[in-house]
Amino acid sequence: MRTWLSALVIAIGLVAMIFMDTMMVGMNTNMVKNATDSLMGHAQMHALGFRDEHEVKLTIKNLAESLTQLREHPDLTVLSQRVLTQAMLSSSGGGEPVLSLGIDPSEEHLLSKFDEAIIEGEYLDSVSGKQMILGWKVAEKLELVLGDRLVLTAVDAVDSEMAQALFRLSGIFKTGDEQMDASMVLVPRQTLQKMLKLDGRIHQISLRYKNLTQDGIPLRSLIQPAASSGNELLLWTELMPSLYMITQMTDLSMAIMGIILFLIIALGVTNTLLMGIYERMFEFGVIKSIGTTPWQTARLILYETVCLGFLSIIVGLILAVFVIALFAGFGIDYTGIELSGVTFQEKIYPSFKWERLLIYPFLSMGFTILAAVYPAFKLWYMLPIEALRKRKL
Amino acid sequence: MAEIVIKTQNLDKSFGSGETEIHALRDVNLEIMRGDFAAIVGPSGSGKTTLLNILCGLDTVSSGEIQVSGRSLQTMSGSELAQFRRDHIGLVFQAYNLIPVLTVLENIEYVMLLQNVPSAERKERVRKFLTEVSLEGKENRFPAELSGGQQQRVAIARAMVSHPDIILADEPTANLDSATGTQLIDMMRKFNEELNMTFVFSTHDPQIMERAKRIVTLTDGQIISDELK
Repeated sequence: MRTWLSALVIAIGLVAMIFMDTMMVGMNTNMVKNATDSLMGHAQMHALGFRDEHEVKLTIKNLAESLTQLREHPDLTVLSQRVLTQAMLSSSGGGEPVLSLGIDPSEEHLLSKFDEAIIEGEYLDSVSGKQMILGWKVAEKLELVLGDRLVLTAVDAVDSEMAQALFRLSGIFKTGDEQMDASMVLVPRQTLQKMLKLDGRIHQISLRYKNLTQDGIPLRSLIQPAASSGNELLLWTELMPSLYMITQMTDLSMAIMGIILFLIIALGVTNTLLMGIYERMFEFGVIKSIGTTPWQTARLILYETVCLGFLSIIVGLILAVFVIALFAGFGIDYTGIELSGVTFQEKIYPSFKWERLLIYPFLSMGFTILAAVYPAFKLWYMLPIEALRKRKL
Repeated sequence: MAEIVIKTQNLDKSFGSGETEIHALRDVNLEIMRGDFAAIVGPSGSGKTTLLNILCGLDTVSSGEIQVSGRSLQTMSGSELAQFRRDHIGLVFQAYNLIPVLTVLENIEYVMLLQNVPSAERKERVRKFLTEVSLEGKENRFPAELSGGQQQRVAIARAMVSHPDIILADEPTANLDSATGTQLIDMMRKFNEELNMTFVFSTHDPQIMERAKRIVTLTDGQIISDELK
């Protein structure tokens, strides 16, 4: 009975670790997916220095050449060219500072999810024209309704003069990301280029790749622009280092939690084994007195422990599959909660990392064997004459 | 001249220290020859069990020398002692000391397993000794399913099956009724005579003493007489 309980404790520990791990992996995958699907993409190209202050003059150098170079990447699936500038949005109801994004809707709808986030009106339908879509919080603050006329004011890229363009509100989006909903407007790229006197130049190319690792890293490395090109190509891990750090810390925190949990379990197993030895002290005394060597006696406990470990792992893996299958159906609902600048927009579902699923059973077995070391030593040094005196009455 | 199997010189064993020191054995000098069937007798507390435990290396001496089959037990490590007991000494305990979770067959073949005796030979030897101790057909019984006398026969078979140089038996009949005890000693005596096996056993049962070829009397840890009959 005691052995079964020990096996169950180890099995539950294994289930807990595998379940937590799959949920953490699921959470990370969810966060990375939310971050890369919403606006950022998997990677972005900018002119060097653009990211610091969004200086309108800092456009991508040698655009045609850069685009050709990027398109050479065999895993590139989507590419969106953007113009970005800080601007003032004015309506009859007042003004509001915004980040304006000039896009080609035919490219952008494949990369970000603004088209799916439209709650009123419609998405942009042309790379030129006077349509504008914006976040619902901006709309609320300026008391806007569809069809309202809006003026966007920003500094142009040629002589730093104030430039203006008139737009008409065609849609309102709600992404779930407070910052985007409160400060972002999307307009046709060519219209914004014209207003900012960019003459076809752009500030940002956002990219999506296929064949990513489970952590969202492209399997084939990105083709980096030459240092002399004046451009930089950054993966989301560099664009959002806090998110990347969170995913990395998850691995570390899982490792720490795993060690603590398995240590506690190992102490329980040690206790069980010691009780088992004490209960069978007389039998061990008999076998030692008739010729079993200390190593052979200690080995018996190690064999017992390995069997216990195997049994626990089998039970644990079966239970883990059951628990994970259960949560794979329901998921855990964290939608709307923000973590590290990313808002969860979907339920979190458990997600496997096979290499980790293999590590935990080994870790479980390792700690179980570790738990047997002290009892094995105790048996090794146990004198048969003393053990024989422990005969059960 | 008969070969010496056990030789002790000035054997002393004491427990505790200072005022609480108890001398269990004092200056014990003993030689056991091959083919002996010796009884160590004496009242309770005279040191019989302590002497037997020391002779098989289960207990240590405070001073003195002890050699079994020409080898000094004091110089052996715990592992060497275990292997020496396995190969040279058969033990029979007062309370049988069979392993309760093993069957009769498994109990008897256990030592041979440690000696890496091939399976077929093990089975053959177990069958032979089960016949010798009149327990044919009981090889798959567990100790709890046997009477005290039967359990002690299994213990004797276990002690003999590996062909040790000597069998040490600590009050082997103490837990048995006198008829069963006498039968058991007769059986041991038969093995002694037919197979020239050396037996040393402790007892304080006068009926058993009668069947011994040699009687070593211990009192207060000292040998006060050593008689051949």
